[in-house]
Amino acid sequence: MLILKNVSKIYGNNKKAVDQLTLQIEKGEIIGFIGPNGAGKTTTIRMITGIIALTEGIIEINGKNITKEPVEAKKNFTFVPDHPTIFDAIKGIDYLNFIGDMHEVTIQHRKDRIEKYTKAFQIYDSLTQTINSYSHGMKQKLLISGALLPDPNLFILDEPMVGLDPHSAKILKDIMREHCEKGGTVFFSSHVLEVVENLCDRVAIIHRGKLIACDTPKNIKKNSSATLEEIFLEMTKDE
Amino acid sequence: MNKFLSLTKIQVIDFFSKYTQQLNVKNKYLGILVMFLPILLIFPATQMVLEIYNSFLAMGFPELTVTYMYIANTILMVVVSIPFIISVFFYSKDLRLIATLPVKEDTIVFSKLASVYIYLLAISSFFLGTAVVIYGTIGELNLSSLIVGIIALIISPLIPMIIATIIILPFMSVIGSGKRRNLMVVVGNMLLLGAIIVLQMLSSKIQLQPEELNNILLQEDGLLMVVGRRFPPSIWLTKMIQGSIVNGVLFIGLNVVLVLILKTFAKTVYSKALMKFNQEGDSIRGGKIYYKSRNKGLQMIKRHINIIISNPVFLMNTVLTIFMPILMFIIILFTGEIQGELLKSTVLFPYHVYIFSAIITTPAIIGSLSATVITREGKTFWETKVLPISARDNIKYRIYTTLIIKLVASLILGIMTIFIIPVNLQTVLVATVFCITSTLFFSSIDIVINIERPLLNWSNPTAAVKNNLNILLALLLRLVVGVIGYGLYKLIDGWEASVVMLVFSGLFIILYFISIYIVYGMYEEKFIDIAP
Ligand SMILES: Nc1ncnc2c1ncn2[C@@H]1O[C@H](COP(=O)(O)OP(=O)(O)O)[C@@H](O)[C@H]1O
Ligand SMILES: [Mg+2]
Repeated sequence: MLILKNVSKIYGNNKKAVDQLTLQIEKGEIIGFIGPNGAGKTTTIRMITGIIALTEGIIEINGKNITKEPVEAKKNFTFVPDHPTIFDAIKGIDYLNFIGDMHEVTIQHRKDRIEKYTKAFQIYDSLTQTINSYSHGMKQKLLISGALLPDPNLFILDEPMVGLDPHSAKILKDIMREHCEKGGTVFFSSHVLEVVENLCDRVAIIHRGKLIACDTPKNIKKNSSATLEEIFLEMTKDE
Repeated sequence: MNKFLSLTKIQVIDFFSKYTQQLNVKNKYLGILVMFLPILLIFPATQMVLEIYNSFLAMGFPELTVTYMYIANTILMVVVSIPFIISVFFYSKDLRLIATLPVKEDTIVFSKLASVYIYLLAISSFFLGTAVVIYGTIGELNLSSLIVGIIALIISPLIPMIIATIIILPFMSVIGSGKRRNLMVVVGNMLLLGAIIVLQMLSSKIQLQPEELNNILLQEDGLLMVVGRRFPPSIWLTKMIQGSIVNGVLFIGLNVVLVLILKTFAKTVYSKALMKFNQEGDSIRGGKIYYKSRNKGLQMIKRHINIIISNPVFLMNTVLTIFMPILMFIIILFTGEIQGELLKSTVLFPYHVYIFSAIITTPAIIGSLSATVITREGKTFWETKVLPISARDNIKYRIYTTLIIKLVASLILGIMTIFIIPVNLQTVLVATVFCITSTLFFSSIDIVINIERPLLNWSNPTAAVKNNLNILLALLLRLVVGVIGYGLYKLIDGWEASVVMLVFSGLFIILYFISIYIVYGMYEEKFIDIAP
């Protein structure tokens, strides 16, 4: 579903944020992408989603190259960023309809899915208010609802649990599970290890732009008595 | 004092970062060169001041150049500073942070005004600065008046800035409460600006009785009194530069008093206006939940138009740059400085095409909406990049938005002008062709500037749409096109006006196709790589 081959990113200031990253994600998987602050998670996700260009390498989403066929590739995923900064002078429902139009979601689908997710997140009644009156968490839930609206093949989230209350985080986890059970794929970054451990089929660990491990939580822990957290801290220790 | 300095430093660095951002090592020299672009404006300013100087010299009162420029400069600064003050005080993103710092209210107010001051000082340098230098150096070098003049220049932004602050802060707390706040802010301030301009125009029209005028003119400083009666500080300033200590004390004293007044009221003004304004969000409630599908392009254009409308500073800036010239024109007309009959006279007839074209093309010439269309989106720019639309379309809808706004503005200007100047159908058609072709060109090529310099991290909206180099680059482009156009016009001198305009329209079409090639052919890649 998602393939990254030798992907690197060098920013304008010559900062190499991602270094020769190779990763393959199968349909129906939930992948946790973990690493300390500044490891390159957001940068990687920005390249996958077409927000920034790759310096080198190839990214394919459902067989479509994000550089060569961006529109076709983008039809296959939706994205929730780490910060819910969106144009907020419009109403919540305007935003969702905007996303619906861009992803060509039919009216019936739109109604069903908007009701389903916004009611689950308890923001349905706020949809007629402008987004600038929402709290941080409400905005985040609106973005998640918007991203789920087109029923994407691949659902990408950057640090989704940050800023959500435990109740909403639980709902989101359930939604992610459900999405995979129906054949969808989920790729999300996090530094909260418990979430990753219980939820993910596989974990990819990134450190200083390099992928240092990619396996099931169980396999990573296999030859060690340590907890995942201890292993993670050991792996990403600064010499 | 320390807190004041560090707060001020942050504001000032923020102000300048909009100019220097993105000038990386690769094109460092180009960057430095570009920084000095605004200085080119000194040439037309000098030209203008020299002309004024010569006419006053002929009357025997060269010092009136300073008086005259000072008055014009002060009015200009009041007008310019109002939207700027609103932007830094009410729509600045750092305000919430600053409000939590343990600093006194007057410290915050004055540090915020620091960036306004710099901006005004730059404007003042062009007008008052050139006047002071010309007055102090032409003929014989007069060092003392030059030095005093420069001191006067440095404090010149204070009066307009503080007056504008004292008017605007309470005014905003009145119009800034309640629903539809943003709309109120825009309408209220447009009316305020209009009122200031009208007042200014009227004050210059106060008729003196002939005997009275004669009496005044017979006095030693008669003419100065007549010119300066609109604004007494201008008289003090002039005399101060001529060496009068009493007037120097008056002029500097007035500035000190104003600073003290502002300092005294800062606490009230800050807590009443600012805090209140920042507490009540401009949120709209109500309406129904609907499910409706619309065309993608329309949705994108709607988004870009909404971004302008929802931000009072963007909206005011857009409306002002587009309609300011016509506003001035109408006001001058109503206050009778240009006689209505003159416009209707047949002498002007051959020039109608030029006049009409110039008026309806102002939105394209003065406004450079495309040069800030990415910047205006700020940190929300990523939104459209992850959607399944091509970069080409993404750029295209931005250009369309500019085109729509400018052509609607041109249409409004055209209709207004038809009522003032009796133009015939041919004139209207030729001018329309010229307006559309030039608007097409400028609206598309401007976006290149924004792709080169995206500036997504602004902290107050003025920085996004006015106080940045993109705007100056766009103006420079117009200057270059204008100079070349003028050269061409001289070459084909004598041709009929309509033909000339059609030739220029043809050239704009060619330029438009070139700009399309540049934008989509060369800049699409760069657009894709704009990093948030
Ligand atoms: N726009 C940018 N320009 C230059 N360097 C950047 C930019 N964005 C991120 N970086 C750098 O790239 C590295 C990776 O950042 P990021 O991908 O945001 O990490 P993470 O999301 O894992 O915390 C960091 O060292 C960061 O400073
Ligand atoms: Mg991150």
